[in-house]
Amino acid sequence: MGYPYSHASEVSIISKHFGDPDARTLEGWKKRGGYEGLQKALQMGPEEVIELVKDSGLRGRGGAGFPTGLKWSFMPKDSKKPHYLLCNADESEPGTFKDRELLRWAPHQLIEGCAIGAYAIGAEQIYIYCRGEFFEANQVLAKAVEDAYEAGILGQDVFGSGKRIELTVHAGAGAYICGEETGLMNSLEGRRGEPRIKPPFPAAAGLFGLPTTINNVETLSAIPHIVAKGSDWYRKWGTEDSPGTKLFCVSGHVRRPGNYELPLGFPLKELINEVCGGVVDGNALKAVIPGGSSVPILSADQVEDCLLSYEGVQEAGSMLGCASVIVMDETTDVVHQVMRMSSFYAHESCGQCTPCREGTAWVTNILKKLLAGKGTEEDLTTLMELTDQMTGTTICVLSDSVAAPVQSSIKYFREDYQKLIKGGEVNG
Amino acid sequence: MKAPKFNPGWAGNIGEYELTEAEIRGEDFVGERPLEGGHPSASATYPYMLETKDPKAKLFEGAYLERFEKIVTRYPEMRAALLPTLSLAQEVRGYVSPQTMDEVAELLELSSAYVRGVATFYTMYNKSPVGKYLIQVCTNISCNLCGAEDVLRTFLEETGTELGEISGDGCFSVVEAECLAGCGFPTCVQINSKYFENVIAEDVPEILATLRNEQSTDPRKKSLKE
Ligand SMILES: Cc1cc2nc3c(=O)[nH]c(=O)nc-3n(C[C@H](O)[C@H](O)[C@H](O)COP(=O)(O)O)c2cc1C
Ligand code: SF4
Repeated sequence: MGYPYSHASEVSIISKHFGDPDARTLEGWKKRGGYEGLQKALQMGPEEVIELVKDSGLRGRGGAGFPTGLKWSFMPKDSKKPHYLLCNADESEPGTFKDRELLRWAPHQLIEGCAIGAYAIGAEQIYIYCRGEFFEANQVLAKAVEDAYEAGILGQDVFGSGKRIELTVHAGAGAYICGEETGLMNSLEGRRGEPRIKPPFPAAAGLFGLPTTINNVETLSAIPHIVAKGSDWYRKWGTEDSPGTKLFCVSGHVRRPGNYELPLGFPLKELINEVCGGVVDGNALKAVIPGGSSVPILSADQVEDCLLSYEGVQEAGSMLGCASVIVMDETTDVVHQVMRMSSFYAHESCGQCTPCREGTAWVTNILKKLLAGKGTEEDLTTLMELTDQMTGTTICVLSDSVAAPVQSSIKYFREDYQKLIKGGEVNG
Repeated sequence: MKAPKFNPGWAGNIGEYELTEAEIRGEDFVGERPLEGGHPSASATYPYMLETKDPKAKLFEGAYLERFEKIVTRYPEMRAALLPTLSLAQEVRGYVSPQTMDEVAELLELSSAYVRGVATFYTMYNKSPVGKYLIQVCTNISCNLCGAEDVLRTFLEETGTELGEISGDGCFSVVEAECLAGCGFPTCVQINSKYFENVIAEDVPEILATLRNEQSTDPRKKSLKE
């Protein structure tokens, strides 16, 4: 159920026990069907588990939407080297707050998903890389992990199967870029969290140079249900290309912000107007960011027919990302918000690539100049050119993430920029 | 935007749910997690932004030494224990000085220059001392849309500090934070190890008064609901 509000349109699978303190305990979780998926998986062969996840069509919930079963199948089958499963709990994309809810309300669901994943890819060691700021949520997870060890669910002999699965909770130390998968690996190894050049891909050489799979918290949290109930069951919801349900984190100018679990393909307009109770103060909608700060902004017109599936949001001109829906009403100063996002990226750029290190700072400076009323029409051209040069030219896509809001806002909210430019002439 | 009615101890809007502050924060479930004992798998997860700091504390002794030794066992290389070890050092000392970085380097058999390079990459390591309460106000987009800049300004005014400085009584440091992943609960403010959510500018004086007056280690006994 959604937290802190629920809605009749929801399909509660991974969020079923949000707001239910008893579900956090091992006993409480088992009473609710917990660890049935893991026990079932242990009866199956690892290959069979991977096939099942492939059939379910589950796509990665960390942003890129890569098919999870396929990712797992890339892991070498007969290598003698240790394998690793990493869980990405570094949630820090502005607008995204779903993994924290999964950590604090359903820690055993994640542990179970991790254990199934580790079994499927032949890993004996799992690291959950938790965002450092999540002191409170991390304590909940830590306690659940300790309980799982004590009950023999983790450790030398998982559920008496003879399988060894170790899990370590690793806390980060504050750096957005450590959410990028190879940045996370470097950070976990005790290095600066700088993304690595790919290839080699993690399945070939990941953590400590060994075969590694990395998945988001929400992805792994869906696994126990898919394994317990089957891929056809999961495909009852969503679309052909985006099966299942997804947590939508809605923030900004809506009456009931929060997380809602909805089938993929749900209409964006209905999410805002029905599920979230509409825009605050009866104001008109101005813009929506459908997938976290790294994706293009949609204008109110584009929102009209947008369906919230991976393909649907792409058709509407943006990306689903991690389904972090940021709603902006007519009172919003779009340029100011774009500047706030670009200054975030300037702060978080790891500095390895020149277009990103320099570009993020320059974009922010130009936007600040425009906001101060000192901008010119030429600045808009510069912004477009600069962000073009920042796209597809760097080690990771943080650089591209700045281009998305800047270019889309200039395209759809040009008047907002032009008002600032005119204002500047009057003042200047 | 008005603060939601039910917001126990600023732990966040509970909407349709009946929950106490302890339940929202998970304290009812976690209970006391003593520094000693406990499984090594989770040794790196304790709260390390304590009110009492001892910049001269030894690295490490007692329960902290035990935890350090457990952390090291969880990785195939000593280097990988670097972040958790720096966090542990900050937990006891309150910040990570160059001297602390050198000591951590020695513990993990790394070079000082290397540890400095890594430590400076991460924002959670305080490079200089901070007040008893480190107040981090998110001003990123979702909170920004709901008045975060007012909240930040009010925290600065009410504590009489400049961004990043320690207040005269040593009680507060206020900094601007990037998205804290509490976007549905704007404005999200992290004070030491705890999140304060749905904070509006009008709440700030009361929050600061609570922090100032609180004798116990838990600054938020008081609930808005009362
Ligand atoms: C700059 C950047 C930041 C990212 N931050 C996160 C994050 O905080 N959490 C996350 O799960 N994935 C994040 N990702 C995506 C990961 O690189 C990776 O695709 C994901 O963890 C894979 O898991 P999935 O297949 O389950 O989605 C980020 C990517 C980039 C480029
Ligand atoms: S694009 Fe930016 S964040 Fe990514 S590796 Fe390059 S400099 Fe670092």
